[in-house]
Amino acid sequence: MERLLIDLLLNFMSAEQLYDALDDPRMVAILIGAMVAVSGALLGTFLLLRHMALTSDAISHTVLLGIVVAFIVMVYGLDQEADISSPWLIVGAALSGVLTVYLTELIFRSGLVKEDAALGLAFPLLFAIAIILISRYADDIHLDEDTVMVGEIGVAWANANEHCFANCEEVVITPDHPKAETGRQCINCKPSGPYSPRDPEAIFKEICSNCGTYPASIAYTRGYIDTSPQIVLWPRAITTMGVITLVNALFVLLLYKELKLATFDAGLAAALGFRPGLLHYALMALVSVTAVGAFDAVGAVLVVAFFIVPAATAYLLTDRLWRMLVLSSFIGALAAYTGYDLARGDFLGIYNLDKLLVFLDKHVLDLGGNTTWNVHIASAMVMMTGFFFLLAWVVSPRYGLVSNTIRRMVQRRRFREQLLLMHIHNHENTENANRELALDTLHMHLNWSENHLKRMVARLRSRNLVRVQNNLVIMTDRGERLLQKIMQERISA
Amino acid sequence: MTKNHTMLSALLVPMVTIIPLSAVLFDVEFDYNLRMVLLGASILGLVTGVLGSFAVLRRQSLLGDTLSHAALPGVVIAFMLMGRELGWLLIGAGIAGWLGTVLMNMIIRTTRIKQDAALGIVLAVFFGTGMALLSYSQGHEDASRAGLDKFIFGQAAAIVERDVLMVSGVAIVVLLIIGLFWKEFKLLTFDSEFASTNGFPVWFLDLFLSTLIVVSIVLGLQLAGVILMVGMLIAPGVAARQWTNNLSSMVILSGLFGAAAGASGAVFSAAAEGLPTGPLIIVAASLIVIVSLLFAPERGLIWRWWNQRQDQQQFLSESLLADIYRLAEKHGSTTYLVPHGMLTHLHGRAARKVLRELAAHRLLEKQATGWRLTAQGVIQAEKVERNRQLWKLYRLYRDEFEAPPVVENFQQDIREVLPREVVTRLERLLA
Repeated sequence: MERLLIDLLLNFMSAEQLYDALDDPRMVAILIGAMVAVSGALLGTFLLLRHMALTSDAISHTVLLGIVVAFIVMVYGLDQEADISSPWLIVGAALSGVLTVYLTELIFRSGLVKEDAALGLAFPLLFAIAIILISRYADDIHLDEDTVMVGEIGVAWANANEHCFANCEEVVITPDHPKAETGRQCINCKPSGPYSPRDPEAIFKEICSNCGTYPASIAYTRGYIDTSPQIVLWPRAITTMGVITLVNALFVLLLYKELKLATFDAGLAAALGFRPGLLHYALMALVSVTAVGAFDAVGAVLVVAFFIVPAATAYLLTDRLWRMLVLSSFIGALAAYTGYDLARGDFLGIYNLDKLLVFLDKHVLDLGGNTTWNVHIASAMVMMTGFFFLLAWVVSPRYGLVSNTIRRMVQRRRFREQLLLMHIHNHENTENANRELALDTLHMHLNWSENHLKRMVARLRSRNLVRVQNNLVIMTDRGERLLQKIMQERISA
Repeated sequence: MTKNHTMLSALLVPMVTIIPLSAVLFDVEFDYNLRMVLLGASILGLVTGVLGSFAVLRRQSLLGDTLSHAALPGVVIAFMLMGRELGWLLIGAGIAGWLGTVLMNMIIRTTRIKQDAALGIVLAVFFGTGMALLSYSQGHEDASRAGLDKFIFGQAAAIVERDVLMVSGVAIVVLLIIGLFWKEFKLLTFDSEFASTNGFPVWFLDLFLSTLIVVSIVLGLQLAGVILMVGMLIAPGVAARQWTNNLSSMVILSGLFGAAAGASGAVFSAAAEGLPTGPLIIVAASLIVIVSLLFAPERGLIWRWWNQRQDQQQFLSESLLADIYRLAEKHGSTTYLVPHGMLTHLHGRAARKVLRELAAHRLLEKQATGWRLTAQGVIQAEKVERNRQLWKLYRLYRDEFEAPPVVENFQQDIREVLPREVVTRLERLLA
């Protein structure tokens, strides 16, 4: 399958270009990060809407149990070498995810424990069992908790499969080959035999020190052949994450209608015969598989960020489900892209964190001269998701802090205007009018400050809604009409 | 209540005796190291248990998970500035966790994001920031793994006397504060709206309680680690909730459960070479939860299952008596022989066993082809039938008689639940 994909790519670029692109850690890390982000965001959107965001956290931890059990099965049951990219891992992870959710529901359905506590009981237990198993079988399964909890996306490019396209013939070096390094070796000399090479009894044998079969790439680097083979080193993580992203995207695309219905109205979905429970477990299994595919790159804790944070950011920006899916994927991918640079200190190309560190080192604290911001890449990507969330939280046109504050201010002002107009309307042409509507006492009747009243009257006057006559505030025709309209709207609402 | 206490003491005895027991059973040697771990784990279990019961009741179980993750950047910054000094690490973690709580509350208050996602956002972003800082503090990225495992998984074995003293000191302060603010926390837990209308500073109390939880989590980090802390916080509270409906007994019990889990985790980890303490504590706490869920009186699953079974049996036996009685009445003779097949057809196979039981109580008589009421059975059936009639009348005339509202239960003697004058009026109606 990798081969197929590479063939496809080779239609667009030469093998050398592809080789260079895949040899670039930045390129590969961003690509993998973006795939983790997209596959996480697609599922995370539904988790968020179903109020199950923390289930992804629980699952990403219990996946460890699935991995450990898969390792134990591989080593003891199938007598294989434990391999972190084995399909058994995917099976184990999916099962452990489903087990987590099932266990949580089992505890919850007993009616004795609340839902949040049920989750909080289930996943620490499964995780604890996983750690106990690891420490028990550590010698045989070569699995370290740290590898699972903290991934390293920066080295993903190095872990690659080799694909060769031209000049791929294996090179066989025989003793007659011009590049063969031959020599004579004494077989009964010291230290194993009694003789020295000078003795006439010494027996010699022709040997060839580099004879054998070499794959083209090694043969080329050793100089046995002159033409370089066309090789593409394809990082394995790209395939794993690519497949997972594809599966998630297909799941969401093909079952879009069903997912939507089950998310917003599970009762109706069940009544229409859509099996929302089955869909629910399928979603959970995919979350587990995504978590296990990603832990290599970003680690079990940080993958939670890719599930929750971009989806929450998109949730603040739109009300449409499909827009939310697209937006959250885009934001996640963007966070992966900008996060790689942030790990090297470059914040969106605007500011370099090294400057901050130099400043801190000089004036505030002693950083011991360590003024280079060069950090764990996946963490920096998570920091960027957090930054984008913050940005959306503040400036989202619909649900942001700024727009909310402005909207509230506008509403408050409009309400006050209406209040004033209503007051004038109620007391105009009554016998109390002189007392209620006098410019210098009116503020007391509304319980406003004098200045505030003056500002409000000035504003209404400028819009020709009221006028001041004999020190009384009186409505104009225009004001009267506006008030009528407002009251009608109130009634019809 | 007394049954409750007997069962509870039966559960507590092995917990309290776990230390002397383990010395005999598992051949554990109580050296200095184990004593320290044991003390530290028990005291921590006590504190987290006490605080956890509030978290459980307030539906904030997963707050512990978030706070323990959110503490990482604080720990790292404190470590960079002050070095490996437990007190400063605590303060750093406390500040970071506290910030996380504030941020989470702001997200919930000002956006439409719900608590679960807000918890997740704070957890992930804070932890990511902490990881970035950690890798920075250690110079280059791969070294980030070196110190992290201690934070994520804890290392109980490294506990020394000074840590134990520190943990004890903090524990005493936390318990004192809970004692002092008992009334406020109780109100906050059960009816925060009432508390706020009565002028209690709810947001402050909320934050205060969260801060205490942060403190206990930070204490526990070096023992159980980030991920397992949430279990230590919740499990004892959930277990204690099953045994009692009273907050003070729940808190005390939860503390005891936590201490027992901590102690047994420490002991078992010493008994089985190479097994880590933190996860064993969680397994012990989970076992306590399972036992509580199953066996707790009145709430426990087994208890409930047994009660339901009893109810079903009683219902079936009363229905059988009443059916036989009515059939007999229709046929004009109280000793009418009801065919066996008819009863099993009406009530299913379960009826056979109940019929035999009724016969054993001499309420029924078995004949070759069916069943017949005995004299005693007639009296009993009349009583049951009469009770049913009274209940039906109660349903009809409840409002007219201004009778107190009670749960309709045909199997209960109506005279036990309704005032006498209402019953007499109902009886007069029946006559």
